[in-house]
Amino acid sequence: MKEFMMIFVGADYADLGLSPEELQNRMGKWFAWGNKMEKAGYLRGGNALTPQIRRIVGENRTVTDLSSAEVKEIVGGYYLVEVKDFDAVQEIAQDFPDYDLGGTVEIREIMVFDR
Amino acid sequence: MEAKIIDHLFRHHSGKMVSVLTRIFGLSHLEIIEDAIQDTFIKASISWRNQLPDNPEAWLTAAAKNRVLDIFRKLKTEQKYLPNISLGTDIIAINELFLNNEIADAQLRMIFTACHPDLDPRDRISFALKTVSGFSIREIASALLTKQETIKKRIYRARKSIQQSQLEFKIPQGKELPQRLESVQEVLYLIFNEGFHSNKKEELIRKELCGEAMRLCKMLLKNEYTRTNETYALFALMCFHSARIESKTNSDNEVLDLKHQDRNLWHPPLIELGNTMMNKAISDATYSCYHYEAAIAAEHLKARHFEETNWDKILYWYQCLYKLQPMPNHLLTMAVVSIQKKDFINAKNYLKELKPQDFEQRMYLYYGAYTDYYDATNNIEEALKYNKLALVNVNNNQEKQYLLKKNLVLLSKKK
Repeated sequence: MKEFMMIFVGADYADLGLSPEELQNRMGKWFAWGNKMEKAGYLRGGNALTPQIRRIVGENRTVTDLSSAEVKEIVGGYYLVEVKDFDAVQEIAQDFPDYDLGGTVEIREIMVFDR
Repeated sequence: MEAKIIDHLFRHHSGKMVSVLTRIFGLSHLEIIEDAIQDTFIKASISWRNQLPDNPEAWLTAAAKNRVLDIFRKLKTEQKYLPNISLGTDIIAINELFLNNEIADAQLRMIFTACHPDLDPRDRISFALKTVSGFSIREIASALLTKQETIKKRIYRARKSIQQSQLEFKIPQGKELPQRLESVQEVLYLIFNEGFHSNKKEELIRKELCGEAMRLCKMLLKNEYTRTNETYALFALMCFHSARIESKTNSDNEVLDLKHQDRNLWHPPLIELGNTMMNKAISDATYSCYHYEAAIAAEHLKARHFEETNWDKILYWYQCLYKLQPMPNHLLTMAVVSIQKKDFINAKNYLKELKPQDFEQRMYLYYGAYTDYYDATNNIEEALKYNKLALVNVNNNQEKQYLLKKNLVLLSKKK
């Protein structure tokens, strides 16, 4: 078994003008997805990220504060899962609720160092 | 872990919290308030993904309460006029406003604001759906079959009228109340009809609009000042119509008229509720248009088959309605009912009083009634002539299909 990270990239909810009803429906889908993964026993963790960004760039360590409205896409959160391979994660990622909002799931394997 | 939150909780809670915060900060800060509440829901939708709070509604209310201070701070930096919150005992008063009966009171104030006569009638519906019902611009646009830009403009205009007229955020009292209540009832009636009578919308949207109108009407019934006979009659009417909503279209989303609806699909509990409401509505003998419309709807529901419809009674209720509200479409319906009764002399008399221009875009209905009249009196030539006129004047595709079918039927009779 290997650990993978599913990283969620897309527009911030606040910038999409979603209605309370749509937000509730979306939350229900996320909730069901998390539940499903937990029951199946491969969920290892996960977090949602707030949309404030502080960016430090280059040798001069230039600092900029950005809000989600100033960047096209933002990392909104991640889940950690433990499964056999990429294909298994891809299968899990089918239930990601925000594809219709143009969202992306990026799957990355956690690197393991031999000792 | 199998926690579930009730349907539409966010939507309904949005209206509640916007109303309460408006009561605290005043209508002039409506935009800031709406943004703040929207933010609460975004936060909830993300932080509840993994674990629902034990009491979601209380969580949302607490979050909204916390926003009071945020908004206060924000307004302070913008140096706007502020209510005097000295943050001591005032907090007790603010807490009070979040109690259930006070929330209901605030919502009624918002409904009366949204339906204020100073607002353009078209703006009222959009503004009410946004502010009272928690619909987004996109949801309103699809519900009213209107462009999002137009809805935005209407809401903007409504907000501006509210500022310009410096409307007070309150439930009108005394002499002012009956007239203002009438305007509220009318808006709820229109929202309901948008849902019930449109055949272009998805079933889900239709039901949502009807449900929303009924929810707001129920709120009027809970308050002793707005719980009038007319409100009861309006609610009865909504119950009677809603009881039939499943049977209004077939599986291909084609509209079915009363004759072709599957009456087994009618929903008895709503009919019963409508009857109960109607009994309350007639506690004295002053009847409104809603009374008569409800009586007509009830009469249709009484007939187990279309053939058993009591047309005499229906015609009588329409005559009463027409006296109160002399509109050409009532007269047209009276003509159609007379045709059903095979009372062709009166049918012709009613038709003679009408002109095609009375119906503007719905002129085809006028020609359609003439078609039915000549068809029923075996004058197929004339019937065909009028059906053609109806076809020329129809825009709605479903209605057009209906008229084309009718044309074929008439042609086959000609032989």
